[in-house]
Amino acid sequence: MNIFTTDFFFSIIRIATPILLATLAAVIGEKGGVSNIGLEGIMMMSALFGSLGAYWTGSWLLGLVIAMVVGLIEALLMGFFAFKLQTDIILVGTAVNMIGSGGTIFLVKTISNTVMGQSLTSTTSLITKAHQIPSISIPYVRDIPVVGKVISGHSLLTYIAFLLVIFTIILLYKTPLGLNIRSVGENPNAAASVGVSVSRIRYITIGIGGVLAGLGGAYMSMYYAMGWSLDMVAGRGFIALAAQSMGGGEPVGSMLAALVFGFAQALGIKVSATGVDSNLVAPIPYIVTIISLVLFALNQRRKERKRFAAAA
Amino acid sequence: MKKTLLALSTLALALVPLAVPQQALAAEPRNVVYLVNGNLGDKSFFDSAKAGLDQLEADGRITLNTVEMGGTDADQPKWLSTLYEVADSGEYDLIVCGTFQMPDYLKEVAEAYPDQKFLIFDDDTYAGEDANVANIVFRQNDLGYIIGTLAGCMTLDTNVERINEDKVIGFVGGYDSPVINDFMTGYITGAQAVDPDIKVDVRYTSDYVDTAKAKEYGNSMINDSKCDIIWGVAGNAGNGAAEAVLETGGGWFIGVDSDQELTFSDDLAAITLTSGLKNVGNSLIWFMDQWDAGEELFGKRTSLGIVEGGVGIVTDKNYDTITSDETKAAVDAAIEAVSSGEIVVPSAFDEGGNEAAQKLRDSVRP
Repeated sequence: MNIFTTDFFFSIIRIATPILLATLAAVIGEKGGVSNIGLEGIMMMSALFGSLGAYWTGSWLLGLVIAMVVGLIEALLMGFFAFKLQTDIILVGTAVNMIGSGGTIFLVKTISNTVMGQSLTSTTSLITKAHQIPSISIPYVRDIPVVGKVISGHSLLTYIAFLLVIFTIILLYKTPLGLNIRSVGENPNAAASVGVSVSRIRYITIGIGGVLAGLGGAYMSMYYAMGWSLDMVAGRGFIALAAQSMGGGEPVGSMLAALVFGFAQALGIKVSATGVDSNLVAPIPYIVTIISLVLFALNQRRKERKRFAAAA
Repeated sequence: MKKTLLALSTLALALVPLAVPQQALAAEPRNVVYLVNGNLGDKSFFDSAKAGLDQLEADGRITLNTVEMGGTDADQPKWLSTLYEVADSGEYDLIVCGTFQMPDYLKEVAEAYPDQKFLIFDDDTYAGEDANVANIVFRQNDLGYIIGTLAGCMTLDTNVERINEDKVIGFVGGYDSPVINDFMTGYITGAQAVDPDIKVDVRYTSDYVDTAKAKEYGNSMINDSKCDIIWGVAGNAGNGAAEAVLETGGGWFIGVDSDQELTFSDDLAAITLTSGLKNVGNSLIWFMDQWDAGEELFGKRTSLGIVEGGVGIVTDKNYDTITSDETKAAVDAAIEAVSSGEIVVPSAFDEGGNEAAQKLRDSVRP
């Protein structure tokens, strides 16, 4: 069987998209010195409200907006606890992840019980194709042999995700806000001494991350799967943290790292067709994480040594 | 004279069903508590068990108390303490719980309260070890055989829309484990009985929640192996395979545990051919019948098949309109053969059965 078909490469991009969106949230967060490990929980909450929103309003676009708003609100709440009330942000993130699991099922049962009179444990029974984010077939591009089949026909959110990589670069390196985010991340005291409101910048940083993770959640329930079900994000928010680290915290590097994860999982799916033990296939993405982190660390160390040698 | 006799016998027949509940009513209704290690509203196991118990309560045979303990990681610590609490209260004649997640907790509590009776459905991890615990399991291999027969007939029937020329069917399982392989081994055996050339593509999601991953597997099975029937046996994740079928237009999906056509939205229900049922509710009523009749099922493993109504297949809606008369006849014949014991379906729970199932799986790979 030929593994490297066009739909294999297509699936890499499809698998990588939600990871990429959350990775960009992690990149901006880390640049601003905000370690948001609650991305997984934000994605779960946004996945739920995105699909519920699309069902209520009958419009996927409004559902998508609701998912982003829910992501933003949750991130700002995290900020309130971490920055205003001085709670350890790792603990806040852990709490958000637990709410993403237990809280979503509680909410979906309560809401569906009061609104529809029956308690649901997933939104799969509500969602039809009309509630889903559409795929885009790009004119002209789709006619290019091979490449067209790989890059045309993805979800609208996939194209937005890759455009957001460019947005992230511009935001971080070409705008005053980006300069402030980076300076607060590097040295909050220095930033404060020149009149930057550290807490305002941190709220903005975590808020942007919340919106991005919200988009990732929306992709899960409004495109990838039809509707929300419990724990459906299944660790993608955590993989994003690894991708951020693997990419050296830079937008492009992290994007490549997200694609490496997409590649690893797509490879696992294809390999399973040949009858390899499923217990060997399942950990492939995690093995790739560990290997990549080791390679990244070795590379960093070599660079450090070189710099040290040059300085000496 | 004849008329009188007829009238009398009709009267006698009419009295028979009346007599049974009266007898049951005469006995004191049993106090039953049902511990849900998840949430009601799953339209599957938990709801099915609840429906059966509700039926028993409506008939005045039990009084029922239901406790929803929640199903997330954070809820798990509650399960053991709730078990202790209800066992310690001594109020209940029977404590009912289920699924593979409960046996360890149950064993601990059952040994601490040897006079308390327990029932666990769909698990037999410690079957027979405690005299006060009844283990009810379902012959999912029998169910698999029926579904396999259906899938085998369908993939050959190219008159049906979206059925391709290739004799390949698919199976998406949760884990490469005995309970899933029990479904699978029946499925393969049933399909091969229809036509030995039929190939079966088996994938495991290694996960019960990641719908998106199951969808990727479904896509690969349809695009790479040309499957046109996929049976999803992976909890919520299995729905991803249905979504793959819908999106690629690659044939039909078969659901599991409950009637999934009813739980899906219109789009997904339209491509769902039928579902293999585990009737937890029926089995609890059956259990109560046996208990009332004086048969003690505690301290052992009881497996329920088609005859007892423990497993079954949905035969209305899409199944009725889509499948041909020949297919229906073949499925009925398979049900008959399995019920009568004419065909004994291998099980992954037999000695060495899981290894045999894995070998069978590898031998029919497309």
